[in-house]
Amino acid sequence: MNISRRCILSLAGLTISTAALSACAGTGSSSSSEDKGNGTLQFWSNHPGSSRDIEQKLIDKWNKDNPDTPAQLIDGGANYEELGQKFNAALSGGDLPDVIVASDVTWFNFAFTEATTPLDDLWKDNNIDTSTYVKTLLEDYKYEDKHYGVPYSRSTPLMYWYVEDLKKAGLPTDRGPETWDEFLNEWGPKLKEATGKPALAVADGSNYLDWYFEGAFWTFGGAYSDEWDLKFTDPKTIEAGKFLQKIVDEGFVKVVKDSANEFGIGNTAGLLESTGSLGGLKESAKGDFVTSYLPGPKPGTTTGGAGLAIPAGISDERKKVAVKFIDFITNTENTITFTQETGYMPVRTDAADNPEQKKYMKENPNATTAIKQLEENTKSQDYARVFVNGGGQKIGGALDKIVAGQDVEETFKALQEDLQKVIDRDIKPNL
Amino acid sequence: MTAPTIPGLENSQPLREPPQRKAKKSLKRLFLAAILVIPNIILLIVFTYRPLIDNIRLSFYNWNISSTRAAKFIGFDNYIEWATDPTSWAIVWQTIIFTFVAVAGSMVLGLGLALLLDRNLKGRNLVRSLVFAPYVISGAAIGVAFQFVFDPGYGLIQDLLGRIGIESPQFYTDPHWALFMITATYVWKNLGYTFVIYLAALQGLRKDLDEAAEIDRTPRARKFFRVTLPQLRPTTFFLSITVLLNSFQVFDIINVMTGGGPLETSTTTMVYQVYQETFVNSRAGYGAAVATIMFLAVLVITVVQVRMQDKEQ
Repeated sequence: MNISRRCILSLAGLTISTAALSACAGTGSSSSSEDKGNGTLQFWSNHPGSSRDIEQKLIDKWNKDNPDTPAQLIDGGANYEELGQKFNAALSGGDLPDVIVASDVTWFNFAFTEATTPLDDLWKDNNIDTSTYVKTLLEDYKYEDKHYGVPYSRSTPLMYWYVEDLKKAGLPTDRGPETWDEFLNEWGPKLKEATGKPALAVADGSNYLDWYFEGAFWTFGGAYSDEWDLKFTDPKTIEAGKFLQKIVDEGFVKVVKDSANEFGIGNTAGLLESTGSLGGLKESAKGDFVTSYLPGPKPGTTTGGAGLAIPAGISDERKKVAVKFIDFITNTENTITFTQETGYMPVRTDAADNPEQKKYMKENPNATTAIKQLEENTKSQDYARVFVNGGGQKIGGALDKIVAGQDVEETFKALQEDLQKVIDRDIKPNL
Repeated sequence: MTAPTIPGLENSQPLREPPQRKAKKSLKRLFLAAILVIPNIILLIVFTYRPLIDNIRLSFYNWNISSTRAAKFIGFDNYIEWATDPTSWAIVWQTIIFTFVAVAGSMVLGLGLALLLDRNLKGRNLVRSLVFAPYVISGAAIGVAFQFVFDPGYGLIQDLLGRIGIESPQFYTDPHWALFMITATYVWKNLGYTFVIYLAALQGLRKDLDEAAEIDRTPRARKFFRVTLPQLRPTTFFLSITVLLNSFQVFDIINVMTGGGPLETSTTTMVYQVYQETFVNSRAGYGAAVATIMFLAVLVITVVQVRMQDKEQ
């Protein structure tokens, strides 16, 4: 192998010339021409709550009823973030899908950058009735008086407890701890002593610890942010951070990569997880379990999960079919099917009144916890987590540092500076 | 009148063609070479150099990848931000550690295995295949499989350590163990590559030098360092460049096993940072700046390696 001086000089020349080129070239905007597609509606999903089979079933049903506008289920990644990244790549490279699953942390960026289309006019033009969507869930997708998505796989964190472990510890089986103090002083020690296991498994910062623990910050009077005003240096937020560190240090909470599995194999007495894991845990849990609200004072937690959105760059004809497809996938009948299979919350109010759903709820009391909690114990997420690009991941990383024993005040101060930079650079100039 | 020829040397003089025919022939050769080379050059321009130029161009812009708004030219701001952010340097350091251990580990172990399996052992062909197999398996699949090895809750390592009363390290939450985990997994995956190349090189070594060493009753270690290893120098050089370049580009194992964490960036290497900034944080311009810095670093390292090799030769 031989590199001559000439070769090196050529490479140096290439570098210099490309730098010069950059000054005069245009860049960075997605194609403005409308993508007409290939005649088949492409639904990009990450199959939340292991819903691949049920999604395919719903699409088969659509294809049977609408042979002229067939749909295809496309694997968009292993989680919401991967799907968002794949969509980002499609935005700059073409071949846009018709419908995407947009999560609580990705939908806003897509709406803000005009990558997805507002749905209100499409609903009006196609006579789509949105009055039966759960209002609070639908309003989560509102930006500048327009809706950029509809609720689909919507969830809320729940606490899951093995009944046998609760009985061993002499704790009630019809509720969870009512406050985090009760968890620290009673539930944690009793469960640890009676079972020899940590009371609770929670996922780490790479797996949404920032979402599961968001409500706990509110119960201490703190928050991630108040709209665009960051609150990580607020004494109440710091107090909540120290509390998280304490319950981990005491061995009451185990922070792991796959918390549902940790609970499923019986390594902890309880679990703090999404309601979307309910379907899977029914199959995998080691014993009977109950679900409970997150500790208060109310609101003790938030909502999350994902909705469905339509890319702005596709043709009007495709948008028309896409909005009808979304209406079909989330109609009352299909919502019931999806909810029962996965454990996600019903997104239509009339689904709850359906006799079939009523019967299901009666037979599966664990599934009703999320629905009741939605009304009584939740509020929308803080902007810092869901509206700031990479916000959730940065907060998760900071919580990981706190769990690992790093100084809470310093960690939150650095996080605040980091997120403030993003807000000032990427958001405020475009608001 | 022609000059007399010496018997037996009639054909020693080169045949001289008429200049016209010679020019025609070299034109023909040039044309053939062009036909063979041009398609590859076009492919290189379209799929390698154009994206490279585009990437460098993008690094001077602030562009949200999902935005339809035009990107804003910001000069060297992305580079300045990268250079003044302590996280960038932590990631550079992690990349260096990962790359060094991956290159050294896979080369030393690959050579060791090659020396072992170069002997006439029973079942060596089966073992050779088994050693090489992980190299052709996708990194993502290996990443998933190795979670069942490293998971502190139910993995193989915790099970084995549990039998002797030792608690498993926290591979997913401790930054040092997390880096160890992805490095070890990467070395395991790439061992087959270094092994096969070294094995081929060992089989091409000069037998006479081996025999001379044996006649001189040279001790084994001395024979390895003085006879075998010097002959493997070109192979070692080739491997050091290719393994280094591959290690710099590791992505799939990190993405599947740690997602760049814990503590947000503890197992993030420069390539993973490019991905995170571009597709997670939607900062395509900043991601392009990191990619350009990485490209320059790899270029410098490769040129230095080549120069060192030239000097030795």
